[in-house]
Amino acid sequence: MTIFNSLNTSASALTAQRLRMDAVSSNIANAETTRGKFVDGEWQPYKRKMVEIKEKDSFSSMLSRAGTGHAGNGVQVTEISEDSSPFKLVYDPAHPDADAQGYVKMPNVDPLKEMTDLISSTRSYEANVTVFNASKSMLLKALEIGK
Amino acid sequence: MLFSNTINSLENALKTSNIQQKVISNNIANADTPGYKAKKVSFQNVLSSEMDSMKATRTDQRHYEFTNASSAGAVIKNKNSSYHPNGNSVDIDQEMSDLAKNQIQYNALVDRLNGKFKSLQTVLTGGR
Repeated sequence: MTIFNSLNTSASALTAQRLRMDAVSSNIANAETTRGKFVDGEWQPYKRKMVEIKEKDSFSSMLSRAGTGHAGNGVQVTEISEDSSPFKLVYDPAHPDADAQGYVKMPNVDPLKEMTDLISSTRSYEANVTVFNASKSMLLKALEIGK
Repeated sequence: MLFSNTINSLENALKTSNIQQKVISNNIANADTPGYKAKKVSFQNVLSSEMDSMKATRTDQRHYEFTNASSAGAVIKNKNSSYHPNGNSVDIDQEMSDLAKNQIQYNALVDRLNGKFKSLQTVLTGGR
């Protein structure tokens, strides 16, 4: 339905921002997880998760873009990727996951980065809620035409 | 004659306002999308076509009324500016104020449209 387009657009953005928040909570929760993945008989620490988003595309949007222009369909999440930056090494020989030299690999999660990401996605979420409410009140106002 | 051009103009304005709303929602939805370029609605062609439809005069009563076919704003993309290092050009403050503006404009248009219908009703009921 074309009149609900702007609501769908905002809804897709709310979904994307919530997923970003989920990724942040997962990263912070696993900031100390030394056993994230079991690879080749060895435990790998947790790797920081990142959400990749892009503009939502569809065949109809491509078609109308060739014409007068297109308002857009919102956003979509393309991938949840892992950060490949090196793990932090902490000296703790008593740790069960320590290597021969007594170092433990810790996840590459930077709490500072996560907090800024969290604030950014919260703000975006709020902005999209505002837009959603504005579109909703416009649709309700349209129902008053001719009353 | 009963339904003058005003209603058509208001209808087109409402349509444009609706497109504007869609564009603003999409811009704000993509505020964090890398490489996204903000879009906006061009009012210039809408305005000129509306002005043309206002100017048209009928020289004969048997002529059809000069009502304009639906004309709504064209969506254009601003490819040059970049607001973020990741290539995104959405200015969130600008978008939020545009949103407020557009909402008030939409409400005003609906009010005017209702006013138009009200006055028609007054005529039809003979002022009673």
